[in-house]
Amino acid sequence: MKHILKILALLVAISAFWIGLLQASVIPESYTWLLPLYFIVSLGCYGVLMVGVGLMQFPTCPQEALLLHQDILEARDFLKNKGVDVGSN
Amino acid sequence: MDLADKAVGLLLSVISLSVFTYYTFWVIILPFVDTDHFVHKYFLPQEYAILIPVFALAALLCFLCMFVGYVMLKSKKKKA
Repeated sequence: MKHILKILALLVAISAFWIGLLQASVIPESYTWLLPLYFIVSLGCYGVLMVGVGLMQFPTCPQEALLLHQDILEARDFLKNKGVDVGSN
Repeated sequence: MDLADKAVGLLLSVISLSVFTYYTFWVIILPFVDTDHFVHKYFLPQEYAILIPVFALAALLCFLCMFVGYVMLKSKKKKA
């Protein structure tokens, strides 16, 4: 329950800031109307950018993959000697 | 296999950066430019700057609701 209250408080603060900007007329009014939409679009863009960057930097560890493959073969042989068949190739 | 991942990641980042710069240019810089500058040709009329994101958000919301409803129906059918 407390987490939702925090999020709601944040939303109320942002709306109050936006309405204050509207009333103060520091920025031309057409800008202030478009500002929330602009922030939503830029947040979506930022999310996609982080996903793309994470994909590009994902480490694949080829040596560990080789070791894992050898472990799998060893385990399969061991189990076959014990009588259990787990071969799927 | 990791080359395909890197290519997809690069494509995503390029798309997101270009969308961000296009939208920033559209909403923030274009109203300050005189109306008979040539650069206005490359951007759609300003109403679309509002319509397209709102339409995309509404479509995403509809898709999410449909997906949730579909999953709920499928789980109820499996239980009955």
